[in-house]
Amino acid sequence: MKWTKVYTFAALFVAGALWLAAPLTAHHSSAMFDATKTTELTGTVKEFQWTNPHVWVQVNVDKSGGAGAKEEWSFEGGSPNTLSRQGWQKSTFAPGAQVTIRFNPMRDGTHAGQFVAAKFADGKTLGRWE
Amino acid sequence: MRFTAIRTLCAGLAVGVLLAPVLVYGQQKSPGGSDALPDWSGIWQMQGGTVFDASTMTPKGVATGTPNAREFPPYTPEFEKMYLENIKKVADGRFPDPVNTCGTPHGWPRAINLPDVYEFVVRPEQTWILGENGPAIVRIYTDGRKHPEPDDLWPTYTGDSVGHWEGDTLVFDTVSSRGWLIDKDVIVDRTGLILSDKLHTVTRIHKVDPNTLELVMTLDDEKALTKPWTITKRYRKMPAGTRAYDYGCAENNRNPIAASGKTLTLGPDGKPIDTDTK
Repeated sequence: MKWTKVYTFAALFVAGALWLAAPLTAHHSSAMFDATKTTELTGTVKEFQWTNPHVWVQVNVDKSGGAGAKEEWSFEGGSPNTLSRQGWQKSTFAPGAQVTIRFNPMRDGTHAGQFVAAKFADGKTLGRWE
Repeated sequence: MRFTAIRTLCAGLAVGVLLAPVLVYGQQKSPGGSDALPDWSGIWQMQGGTVFDASTMTPKGVATGTPNAREFPPYTPEFEKMYLENIKKVADGRFPDPVNTCGTPHGWPRAINLPDVYEFVVRPEQTWILGENGPAIVRIYTDGRKHPEPDDLWPTYTGDSVGHWEGDTLVFDTVSSRGWLIDKDVIVDRTGLILSDKLHTVTRIHKVDPNTLELVMTLDDEKALTKPWTITKRYRKMPAGTRAYDYGCAENNRNPIAASGKTLTLGPDGKPIDTDTK
């Protein structure tokens, strides 16, 4: 069990290191994202779309000041082809999991962004967290 | 004397055995064929990002899409002007990349300038370059045929490639690609680099070490370029067992291009979540 955790951590670390070197958006320009800003949000994974040309993590986030109200955010990553070669899996973001996402936000403020990193409830991180 | 001869023979055999792997390095018998062809099996990743000509990229080392970044092909005034217009559109986030439609091939020479990975299928009669991020299949005929006669040739995204082997180097000639002037539907990279339907390239690919393929391309284009332009790309072999996958770009394309050239983002309901304003 202990070693499984070590392997998992090592795999995620390698995936994170590779992510740094990987082209983030192969299919379209990243002009809609503000790469000079990194924003952080915490929420619950609603859905992980493991699809080409990009994966999308759909996250429900508590609306600030709203009593239980949620708003849905979309976070875009690379292609499953590239990510799978970097250690990602279709189950990397399990529906219902608590997650904190760091992302380059949309320039126009809409609820989406380019994935930079994630931190899960158990403290494991993915991508460029540090 | 006799023992000296035996010793010499043994030494010769030993040298031969030791040298044999070196002499046949990178070569294999093709299945069913008699020609020795190089071994380009495996999965290959282009190095250095998708800047077509990193040697002239300014600022050095930045990615395509960086505002006002550019390369310096020997452009004619007409194409320099169009390139500058494209660079401005890139800076404004309104340079339309034709492949965002998820339908048309990436075209020539962009087909050898893609992220994700490549496979090279080498046969005596033909070599295929299979770009995972596609459609990006380049068919290179090495069976002695020539380009089709002019009446049988029309511009296609990837053009027509014929070639031959010079030792372990594949040399091929490509014509009849569409270029930017036909429906503005083939670009070379996302700095806004473009070429015309008069593009003619001579490409040489060979293995420079067991894990590196090098591609050197000389481009001439009577509409776009004032003199031949030579670029170099390298591809690194990925670990054994690596797989390539299909790239169903239309599977979940949430980034269509608006008429203005701006790339939109669709929400989970399939409707744009941003607006087509600057």
